[in-house]
Amino acid sequence: MERTPELAPNEVISRFDNGELENTLSYHELNAMINLWNAEGKMQLEKDKMAVHKYFLDHVNLNTVFFHSLRERLDYLVEHDYYEPDVLAKYSFDFLEKINEFAYSKKFRFETFLGAFKFYTSYTLKTFDGTRYLERFEDRVVMVAIALADGDEDFALHLVEEMISGRFQPATPTFLNCGKKQRGELVSCFLLRIEDNMESISRSINSSLQLSKRGGGVALSLSNIRESGAPIKKIEGQSSGIIPVMKLLEDSFSYANQLGARQGAGAVYLNAHHPDILKFLDTKRENADEKIRIKSLSIGVVVPDITLELARENEDMYLFSPYDVENVYGIPFGDISVTEKYQEMVDDPRIKKTKIKARVLFERIAELQFESGYPYIMYEDTVNNANPIKGRINMSNLCSEILQVNTPTTYNEDLSYAEIGKDISCNLGSLNIAKAMDGGNLADTVETSIRALTAVSEMSDIQSVRSIADGNAKTHAIGLGQMNLHGYLAREHIHYGSEVALDFTNIYFYTVVYHCIRASNLLATEKKESFDGFEDSKYATGEFFNKYTDQVWAPKTEKVAELFANAGIEIPTQEDWKKLSELVQKNGLYNQNLQAVPPTGSISYINNSTSSIHPVASKIEIRKEGKLGRVYYPAPYLSDETSEYYEDAYEIGPDKIIDTYAEATQHVDQGLSLTLFFKDTATTRDVNRAQIYAWRKGIKTIYYIRIRQLALAGTEVDECVSCML
Amino acid sequence: MNTKLAITRPVNWNKIEDAIDLDVWNRLTSNFWLPEKVPLSNDIQSWETLKPNEQLLTMRVFTGLTLLDTIQGTVGAAALLPDAITPHEEAVITNIAFMESVHAKSYSSVFSTLCSTDEIEQAFRWSEENPYLQKKAEIVLGYYRGDDPLKRKVASTLLESFLFYSGFYLPMYWSSRAKLTNTADLIRLIIRDEAIHGYYIGYKFQQTYNQESQARKDEIKQYAYDLLLELYENEIKYTADLYDELGLTSDVKKFLHYNANKALMNLGFEALFPKDDCEVSAAILSALSPNADENHDFFSGSGSSYVMGKHESTTDDDWDF
Repeated sequence: MERTPELAPNEVISRFDNGELENTLSYHELNAMINLWNAEGKMQLEKDKMAVHKYFLDHVNLNTVFFHSLRERLDYLVEHDYYEPDVLAKYSFDFLEKINEFAYSKKFRFETFLGAFKFYTSYTLKTFDGTRYLERFEDRVVMVAIALADGDEDFALHLVEEMISGRFQPATPTFLNCGKKQRGELVSCFLLRIEDNMESISRSINSSLQLSKRGGGVALSLSNIRESGAPIKKIEGQSSGIIPVMKLLEDSFSYANQLGARQGAGAVYLNAHHPDILKFLDTKRENADEKIRIKSLSIGVVVPDITLELARENEDMYLFSPYDVENVYGIPFGDISVTEKYQEMVDDPRIKKTKIKARVLFERIAELQFESGYPYIMYEDTVNNANPIKGRINMSNLCSEILQVNTPTTYNEDLSYAEIGKDISCNLGSLNIAKAMDGGNLADTVETSIRALTAVSEMSDIQSVRSIADGNAKTHAIGLGQMNLHGYLAREHIHYGSEVALDFTNIYFYTVVYHCIRASNLLATEKKESFDGFEDSKYATGEFFNKYTDQVWAPKTEKVAELFANAGIEIPTQEDWKKLSELVQKNGLYNQNLQAVPPTGSISYINNSTSSIHPVASKIEIRKEGKLGRVYYPAPYLSDETSEYYEDAYEIGPDKIIDTYAEATQHVDQGLSLTLFFKDTATTRDVNRAQIYAWRKGIKTIYYIRIRQLALAGTEVDECVSCML
Repeated sequence: MNTKLAITRPVNWNKIEDAIDLDVWNRLTSNFWLPEKVPLSNDIQSWETLKPNEQLLTMRVFTGLTLLDTIQGTVGAAALLPDAITPHEEAVITNIAFMESVHAKSYSSVFSTLCSTDEIEQAFRWSEENPYLQKKAEIVLGYYRGDDPLKRKVASTLLESFLFYSGFYLPMYWSSRAKLTNTADLIRLIIRDEAIHGYYIGYKFQQTYNQESQARKDEIKQYAYDLLLELYENEIKYTADLYDELGLTSDVKKFLHYNANKALMNLGFEALFPKDDCEVSAAILSALSPNADENHDFFSGSGSSYVMGKHESTTDDDWDF
């Protein structure tokens, strides 16, 4: 944190004391000041608090509609079509008053300017002309709670408690939409298969439009689609492959936006052994031709173990025509384990194949990650080996944390459904690790969260995409995530990636998975219903539980044992697991999937968290959002004392991040969005090495690659904190 | 014009005479970008929330910038070529010239995405008729056509590090108010380039300048301050002409002072304006940061962060598992 004074010909020196500053500067300027050093070369974190205060004084309070009483407020909002009357009708007015008072009694305050600004620009209910606010944070929390509790007063109060304390934070679509009359869906994330026929391709475009209109990201698997030059109706050289499909999808997503809330977003996944794989990657090239250039669609590559093994031997890798593979095996290419069938397919003359150097593929992937941050990577065999559910996982989603099985949909000639398959939706919510530990009752926090996410699943029924509606109804798949790991560690004076930090991550996730399964088992017992296919799962056979009943999981370091003991949180024992295993085999599980750790952008700002379980990108993060412009976000609990524990992700480097994620991954049934951070001195080789290391450590997916380029010496903005930290 | 005969020796990148040449070349090439990278069309909604006078101002500011980049791309950088000390410097300057043309084209991308043809033509007409803008162009062009290499470099550095910024202010201002954020990304890419251009030309200036006699040094230094003041006087009028209506003039002026000092620093001279006159709004200053450490996701456009990668093949050791 040394500054270099000789480079400062004219620094910003505050001539005012703080009171005067607050009078003269706008909240935007106050917020921006945390990114600049003060005259003594210190961070000016207090300026952000002033920015919050000023934001309320100058903007929020002036633009919030005033009501004399709760009754007047609710009547008005229902009468004018802002609130959904059915949600409120399930409760007595007395109770609504009580829960309202309860929420306000918690004295919630936004910790950062970005948190407040983000809430008021993106989440709160506004008048239809968009000019005035109709909700404060407490009102939104209450509305979400009573909408999800569906008349259950006790549950509603529990939910308010968990949300207002910051322990549980539902994902954006749920938190944004609950209880509103004009709203999008509560679910944030969809995954669709595409089969190798025009009916399926056109349906997937239709579905993409419908789903992004309703809230959140859509990922599609392209692995099954025949390659360019493949035959159509046996005539060779006819197919134009996957690129035109990507173009259609990209345009669909930019057309659909969720009531203007945010732009539609999409991702496509392709198996590494698809013949169009290099073309697929080249769509992200900086200098790609406009006809094939893909700007806003995210891309991901599905990498089986065999690809890495071939690269190890520095051999060629064969790419297989999906058209021929489907003809030979009778199942789509994406549903084949390439690792298992590789030699067989190589030897089969009926399957057309091309070859490339395996290492070239990995180098190409790394080059593109430098240029564009893409592609994501999914280690297909790691994912499937860890999957307790029957079936195959062949793709992930927009944030690479959803990993569920799917089945194909088939169509009749008139485009009606012949057989509706299972596609994937996942509703998410995250725990704030620091707050969850502080709460001291992790069992209850997890259970309430699992119940809330299950409620979202039960309230969702997306009829416009039947495969999604059916999949959701059959599986009740949810994804409980985690955030603020780095924040918690820094507050407790633990270095990210250190032995203690890894120990904590392991034991925390170990405890969480126990309570997730316990909660889902309770739900199955209460509802007398398990997810479709439970009997065929490794939960039903008990195989899943072996790793917990065969060995002892306990803290390896005194510090972690202390942290749990001081928080009053019990760590499940082998005995606990044995009992739970019996209960699950007896009464089942309600949810096919329980955990997924998303990247948590927006909600972590509102919740005053560091994102997900990765390290901060910077002590003072520069956040650029379509609706916000540039805003500066200080890491939670940042102070002179915690500063040394906030090494940023680029300093920490990929290995410690991978180690941390590996500890968590072993307890998470789905995936974890894992971003890798490199300094710009890194080469494609460093990226490749990190990918290999991640695979060896059992990481399931890799999300973005971020490269930090520092300004050339002599061209920096002199006073900028983020340039120097 | 200098009549030095071109190409007396081939450029050998394995024999670097000045390490800064290679540094800057590497930086410039890894920063290479094209306007198509930025999803400008995401700004259309935001553009429509601007009031008509704000839209008009924005278009005028951009035509002004287009003019400057046109000069720099076609005359400015080319005028510096004959003065190059090392062959590598020539290579760097050709890169600078090309990127200036990319910048000029970028403004056209902004126009064609956000405005109608009629509006664009009116804005260009304005730029041809605005006396201050034309004067600015004349002054700079005059010095580029002069026969003193050092003076040409002074003019170029002032253009890169000072004159652009009355225009850059506005997109930074919008972006700090959550408007036209993708356009701001594009401008930030331009600023990232211009910061290096100004630094590099200033550095090359200092190389020659430091070897001159004291009398010559005094002459050049006097010249630099005179030229800066001449440009400054005109720039103040230009700024008032543009920004008075929105009441931003005084803040833009501080920003000009800040950048004028920065330009002088690039030339190795002392700051001219006192600190108090350079107190740029923190929101603008922070928005300028040329670092690529900004965080964004797929809902927020492409940002100004990614760079071209350095390729290095993996070895068998890397695959040892």
